[in-house]
Amino acid sequence: MMNIRTLTTNIPRKRVSIIGSGPSGFYTAYHLLKKSKIPLHVTIWEKLPVPFGLSRYGVAPDHPEVKNCEETFTQCAEENIQNNGLHKFEFIGGITIGEQISLQKLISEQDAVILSYGSSGEHKLNIPGESDTKGVFTSREFVSWYNGHPDYALNPKFMDFDWSHVSKVGIIGNGNVALDISRVLLSNKIDEIWKKTDINPVAISLLQKAPISNVKIIGRRDFIHSKFTNKELRELWALERYGIRGSISSEFFDVSKFSSINDRALKRRIEICSEYMKDFSERTKASYKKYEPLELTLDGSTRTWELDYLKAPIKIDKDANGNIKQLTVRNQLLTDENKLVDDTSKSDIVYGLDLLITSIGYAGKPMKEFSSLNIKFNKDRVITKDNRVLSTSDVAFPRLYATGWIQSGSQGVIVSTMMNAFNVADTVIADLSKNDSTTNSQPIDVTNIPHTTWKDWEEINKRELDKGKQSGKPREKFLTSDSMYKHN
Amino acid sequence: MSRFLVKSPIWRSLSGSCGLLKTSSQSLLVGRYTLNRFPTNATFSTTRLLQHGHLKKPNPGEELKITFILKDGAQKTFEVAEGETMLDIAQGHNLDMEGACGGSCACSTCHVIVDPDYYDALPEPTDEENDMLDLAYGLTETSRLGCQIKMSKDIDGIRVALPAMTRNVSASDFS
Repeated sequence: MMNIRTLTTNIPRKRVSIIGSGPSGFYTAYHLLKKSKIPLHVTIWEKLPVPFGLSRYGVAPDHPEVKNCEETFTQCAEENIQNNGLHKFEFIGGITIGEQISLQKLISEQDAVILSYGSSGEHKLNIPGESDTKGVFTSREFVSWYNGHPDYALNPKFMDFDWSHVSKVGIIGNGNVALDISRVLLSNKIDEIWKKTDINPVAISLLQKAPISNVKIIGRRDFIHSKFTNKELRELWALERYGIRGSISSEFFDVSKFSSINDRALKRRIEICSEYMKDFSERTKASYKKYEPLELTLDGSTRTWELDYLKAPIKIDKDANGNIKQLTVRNQLLTDENKLVDDTSKSDIVYGLDLLITSIGYAGKPMKEFSSLNIKFNKDRVITKDNRVLSTSDVAFPRLYATGWIQSGSQGVIVSTMMNAFNVADTVIADLSKNDSTTNSQPIDVTNIPHTTWKDWEEINKRELDKGKQSGKPREKFLTSDSMYKHN
Repeated sequence: MSRFLVKSPIWRSLSGSCGLLKTSSQSLLVGRYTLNRFPTNATFSTTRLLQHGHLKKPNPGEELKITFILKDGAQKTFEVAEGETMLDIAQGHNLDMEGACGGSCACSTCHVIVDPDYYDALPEPTDEENDMLDLAYGLTETSRLGCQIKMSKDIDGIRVALPAMTRNVSASDFS
């Protein structure tokens, strides 16, 4: 009797390469492996030695439940890693497509290639002082630092900065990343929040030196156009139980002006803010009365945050040591056409600051080969039609697809990333099913390039979990690529 | 700012006590998402639960019924034990319901549309659930998260539909 192994290893599998192992790449792999009836060999390529992208290095450490998608990805990998089923899954970490292996090679030697490498860059303010002032960080580097990303975890830019003088903080932008950063800074001294997380221990010990007194979250538009979602907003207000108090000036938050709003999420956003700004005794809904707020923090200090609106940053000034001193902002007006213009009736405002974080969005970057391959790229993302990547002459590029933030821009939560990935996987399956003949695809030889495999990740993961267990945390991450390769 | 609140129209054509569908193929527009619900060849099956994943086996005589209407219009009815969540039931039977956050009310991937006849029998959603429903696609007035609804005698026989997503997500969906 022929055993299953002999049977299945001889199946000519079509080869699919996915570039990037974050949620979009992994959800694409998951759906392909779950739904495809034709045998597939799915390879996920990751530039870091470890998988999961922004789930591992973007999601805030106090939101472990959001990382639970990693369990789905792990199960999917484990089910398909052995060569004994219909499909075969492979993870190759530590190799950057476009550097050690060209995109051209993948496209010509695989049956399908899916770009899911996310947004590796970020938007800039382009104002004086932005890139040469100590104490000015981008959200990407700050989040990567506290999440222990190997490129940032021990970066001197953070290690050498004097955190013990950080009292007043400005954050430009008001998306969920801005709110995550605000929450981390404001609650830096509340051990019960951080001691049970996988936050970079080096980062939290430095952050805990900062005697934060105020965090201003500065938006260019008005309250209605805030980018955060209600969950993150609610969490920030809920810090009142630790004596961390929020506010919005009545200039920007006037409930009487919001009466015509019908949008569900927006109505709820208004309710959250107006309830939390009431005295505790005057609140009506039970969910706003769970914990009585404290006026001061446990160490007796005042600690506040505020949502600030209709301000455009103009310039950053530094002191004699090169540290940030102040940020100048210009008042803005929102026209009836929803355009921003300078409000010339008011003079510029100067905020004295000790730390400024710009959080105005991640931006996708083209791969080097896009221009020679004539792949269409515009406004931070790959241009697709019906999930297929377009050439510069607007023709679908053969065998090339894109999903996740490199396709949609850096917006949306996990549900949109997941649905987008499923949709792209369905298109790939449909295209692969059209042509049933055996392909000329071939394995990509990586024997001479240092890389990690799924088995390596399993060992790294086990070491991280073990190290975490010793200190009562869910995990303690390796902070350098080198230590990941050595697993120690 | 493009959330749609639609009075679940898909239920209006549901008739008869056992919910067997006699309507021909219908497609309904919920927001901009087409839900193809009721193909004429809709399969209807009742499965007695034996042992699926970590689902409990209901005690004899205490089985509760739940019917899922799948994205292709097929209906699946299961007999389950009290206290199981809809997400666990769906995943235990390999239905296409994702729980990206593992059922901890931190995403909206297990969004279900509840038959209005049963909706009011459910305990009210918490603020945390509503925060997630804000971000669900094809939201209706009877939308809930599958991970937050536990089976109880009050909702024995409940019917829920899995929202279909038939188009790609693009940047304009979020602006």
